[in-house]
Amino acid sequence: MVEEILLADDFVRQLMSVGEVDVLVGIPSFNNALTIANTVQAVEQSFQLGFARQRVVLVAVDGGSGDGTRDVVMNARTEKSSSGRGLTSLRTEQRVVTQYANAPSAGLALRTILAAADLLRAKACAVVSPATPNVTTAWITNLLEPVYRDKFDFVAPLYNRHKYDGLLSRNLLYPMSRSVFGQGIRELHPSELGFSGRLASHCLGQDVWNQGDIQDAPEIWMALTAISSDFKCCQAFLGTKERGTAGTAPDIVTAVRQNVGSLFWCLDADENFWMQRATPEAVPSFGPQSELTTEPMNLNRQRIYELFRSGVQDLGPILETILASDTMAEIRSVTAQSEEKCRFSGELWARTLFDFAASHHHAVLNRDHLIQALVPLYRGRIHSFLVEHQDSTAQQMEADTENLCVQFEKQKPYLVERWKAKA
Amino acid sequence: MAVEAQPLWYKDAIIYQLHVRTFCDSNNDGIGDFTGLLQKLDYLQELGINTIWLLPFFPSPLRDDGYDIADYTSVHPNYGTLDEFRAFLTAAHERGIRIIIELVANHTSDQHPWFQEARSSTNNPKRDWYVWSDTDDKYKEVRIIFLDTELSNWAWDPVSKSYYWHRFFSHQPDLNWDNPAVFEAMWGVMQFWLDMGVDGFRLDAIPYLIEREGTNGENLPETHAILRELRRLLDKQYPGKMLLAEANQWPADVRAYFGDGDEFHMAFHFPLMPRMFMAVRLEDRKPIIEILEQTPQIPDSCQWCIFLRNHDELTLEMVTDVERDYMYDEYAKDKQMRINLGIRRRLAPMMENDRRRIELLTGMLMSMPGTPIIYYGDEIGMGDNVYLGDRNGVRTPMQWNGGWNAGFSGADPERLYSAVISNPVYGYAAINVESQRRTQHSLLAWMKQIIHVRDSTPIFSRGSIEFLRPSNHRVLAYVRCYENKQVLVVNNLSSTAQAVELDLQDYKGSIPIEMFGGNLFPRIGDASYLLTLAPYQFFWFRLRRI
Amino acid sequence: MKEMILQGLAQAYDNLVHMIAIFVPRFAVMLIIVVVGWIVALALRYMFRAILHVTRLDRISEEAGASQVLRKAALPSISEVLSRLLFWVVWLGFMVLGVSMLGIPELHEQIARVFQLLPQIFIAFLILFFGVLASNFLSRAALLASVNAGHRSPRVWSGSIRFVILILAISMALEQIGLANQTVTSAFSIVFGAAMLALAIAFGLGGRHLARHALEQYFGNRKTEQEKGQEEPSPL
Repeated sequence: MVEEILLADDFVRQLMSVGEVDVLVGIPSFNNALTIANTVQAVEQSFQLGFARQRVVLVAVDGGSGDGTRDVVMNARTEKSSSGRGLTSLRTEQRVVTQYANAPSAGLALRTILAAADLLRAKACAVVSPATPNVTTAWITNLLEPVYRDKFDFVAPLYNRHKYDGLLSRNLLYPMSRSVFGQGIRELHPSELGFSGRLASHCLGQDVWNQGDIQDAPEIWMALTAISSDFKCCQAFLGTKERGTAGTAPDIVTAVRQNVGSLFWCLDADENFWMQRATPEAVPSFGPQSELTTEPMNLNRQRIYELFRSGVQDLGPILETILASDTMAEIRSVTAQSEEKCRFSGELWARTLFDFAASHHHAVLNRDHLIQALVPLYRGRIHSFLVEHQDSTAQQMEADTENLCVQFEKQKPYLVERWKAKA
Repeated sequence: MAVEAQPLWYKDAIIYQLHVRTFCDSNNDGIGDFTGLLQKLDYLQELGINTIWLLPFFPSPLRDDGYDIADYTSVHPNYGTLDEFRAFLTAAHERGIRIIIELVANHTSDQHPWFQEARSSTNNPKRDWYVWSDTDDKYKEVRIIFLDTELSNWAWDPVSKSYYWHRFFSHQPDLNWDNPAVFEAMWGVMQFWLDMGVDGFRLDAIPYLIEREGTNGENLPETHAILRELRRLLDKQYPGKMLLAEANQWPADVRAYFGDGDEFHMAFHFPLMPRMFMAVRLEDRKPIIEILEQTPQIPDSCQWCIFLRNHDELTLEMVTDVERDYMYDEYAKDKQMRINLGIRRRLAPMMENDRRRIELLTGMLMSMPGTPIIYYGDEIGMGDNVYLGDRNGVRTPMQWNGGWNAGFSGADPERLYSAVISNPVYGYAAINVESQRRTQHSLLAWMKQIIHVRDSTPIFSRGSIEFLRPSNHRVLAYVRCYENKQVLVVNNLSSTAQAVELDLQDYKGSIPIEMFGGNLFPRIGDASYLLTLAPYQFFWFRLRRI
Repeated sequence: MKEMILQGLAQAYDNLVHMIAIFVPRFAVMLIIVVVGWIVALALRYMFRAILHVTRLDRISEEAGASQVLRKAALPSISEVLSRLLFWVVWLGFMVLGVSMLGIPELHEQIARVFQLLPQIFIAFLILFFGVLASNFLSRAALLASVNAGHRSPRVWSGSIRFVILILAISMALEQIGLANQTVTSAFSIVFGAAMLALAIAFGLGGRHLARHALEQYFGNRKTEQEKGQEEPSPL
């Protein structure tokens, strides 16, 4: 069977000219002309500051931008670093730009970057999002150094965030992946990450790249693959995660479909691994575990509550197919409470998610529909979260997150039981 | 790291051939021994080989360098004891190195107790273990192998007053394989060594086991029947062990020794070897392609053994007269270099110590289909001494360092079994393991690298071969293919830089990745693929679709 | 006279015997063919079921929602349904063959006519089946999308889609059988067109205030929410 050709001729020619490298930073882009120049500059300054002797390359992979993003990358000028020592790389700075497709695809973009890392035998790699407006030189260095110097294989970022941002990670992706896979990575779907050439080659060689479930959130698959294939993982604090330009963040439904879809797919693929995994391990961190800002944010809690209640009511028959009867009964009793008193506990949330995971595994109905049916329940959980933490400090929120993870870990046998039961 | 059980291990083997006498002397008697060899196993492991082929080390009058065996189930006292051999075998296995030993099945020494008994009387039970005749008229069609020293295949035995048959030296009477007792005895010998743990046998001179009137006494059906029976017993009682055939024949004739996968596991491809030397001298790929295209398919479980040099002369039996004359003129101008129908020189001197040519030939050895054999000393470019008798010029002591006796032995130099090579070009001061270990770009370092690269993929050991025929005949190019993966090999046989355009349409879209440096070359497109090569340069490209 | 009667009776008796003598072997052949057909059909049924089991059709059908439809209709799993169908088709075929051996042309003709209709019935069944599947799938998708988007009355949307697709499937199935083609097509067009017209009138005239209010609310809410701040926290 002839394998498909992934890399364009022009890209291969550019890689050929670059040759073997020590450090590679990839930037997947789509219509980021306004912000990508800053990202390019941050990357190349980090090369000058941290990797002056090493062979380095910046690889920009574009999904068919119409706003001239690729030209911006090629023409971006990097000032010498501001350290005052006039540091510059000893070697020719390499910058490679390619269009990997006519439409953006996170999976294809990541795969192209991994292919470049593999062909150039890069030792340390990072991926940086051009949509993050405040990427700094330190961010890049903090992602690369654990790989280059400390021989880690996967580096997930840690951010300073608002306490109400990243709730999908805090309430679902993190506790679930930590309890099931045994290693807790806070940002499972990061827009910045670091990895070794070894991990890149390993991931590139897996036969998953045509799976629709992971195309939109391939970083989740990569992180969980690193855990399940015994690669060394760590986390590195980067800085404040600023929101990107308006309209770039996915809405809640899309976010749930993409991320939970990818997570559940990984549960299926790595079932042998996580079933045997008993005790969770701590993931080494460089810098603080998390930082939260707690300034007030205007949120329409009432609406979230109503969407939760009406969602459970309207999707009742579907939810009954997915959830265990006692889980469903408990959820119904939660919806019967008033908005102030409505509480979707951590223990119930864990059981709900595990019911969904097991039902996804048994394909009790179309998998995408199943994941969409989770959205109202996720809203219920978020509503409870907002109510409980409206006056919480950062420490209190961290403690609560830890408790939630413990709840999930306690419920893991329940997941195993539901998973193994016949549909 | 221990030897792993794997039925087709010999296909992936990289064999190092040595005589224990030549390698390292531990007791300072001037002769290498098994304890000394054990001390050098780390060196061999570091080199990257995984199999050692030991030349005969059995008790022997040593009139044919040990191929005249006087006791099959012991170790010559010069080389140590059976216990020392066992210790060496265990140590080798612990390092993942398998051991092949010789089984000289065709003949024994006239000092062997069996022959002593056989000749003592015509009624002796072992009389029939050898081939006797009252006249020397029988088997007239059979050729003489050692033309330089023997006038006949019959020798007169004054003790029993009759002639006995010998295909080699007259002091090496042929065993009578028509006698089942001989078969049983030799199987017993094999069992002795197999029970000890050796991994295989190189069967010496096997085409000549049986003779029949009116035939040339080579490759007879009865010989094959005997060999099949030996193989059957081996597979039944010792699975995973290997038999290697020494049959200096044309490939079509050697093919029969593989049977249907029920005779030998491996056999030497003798005719390829002189043609590699010829091709480099002619600067023309024709001899190599011709002989490989004449080489028949062999069963999947079987494998050719290929080599550049060995302990014998570079045999020119399987070439035409024109080719032989050419080889003599180019590689053995001095008649002292010639013996029997061959050339008794080592690789480096034949290549005039040209590092590029040594690498080119080694590159071809490592990339052609078959299991490669490295002759001891060739990894550092050792020289030879054509003024020593017989083929002893290529069997001089291993050169370990520039010190006393080249680090081979602590004995007085006069006591050594053979003088160390000491001229300024190939002498031990110039060519030795220790100097080359300290040099990053020495021949030894390069040998380790090429073995490592070859070992990094099963394509070389298991793959098919497809010759490309670019218009530039000085370039030998072929594609090795295994399980949908390909390696492109391009060799410049010429002493001058060459350009070559290759038709790689079948591999369009693939990216050639040079295997030593890992660098990308331009993707294969519609047009012919242009490469330029320095004198004697070669490339190995992994073809990757991505 | 008496002799003529006796002769007539004898003749009739002979004819009867003759007819029986011809009919009985044919009947025996028919029975044999029917029995053999039963055995063959049974064997094919088991083989087909085994093949469907290997292709995991039940699992795919479960995922697509078809199994639930079958369960509601008190039918067994899809592989069982299909293999039983195959059994009956094969056996009926053998029966027709057997009946044809009886040599009664009129009977043969009738059965043949029924059999000519069978493929159409089968296709109609398939159309209906896939129509039910599609209506289930799409109505569920619509339900989920509108629930998650926070639309009012998501079940109305979902129900409407289910209704439309089912009606379409039924119409196509009836048309396939050739049952009152013109009537069905016209009825479908009338009902569907009327429904659309009614909706348009209701919305455009009777509900214009509501429509205006809904639109104002929709666009107004967006502006208000932008002024108020975000509706939901960022998930990532």
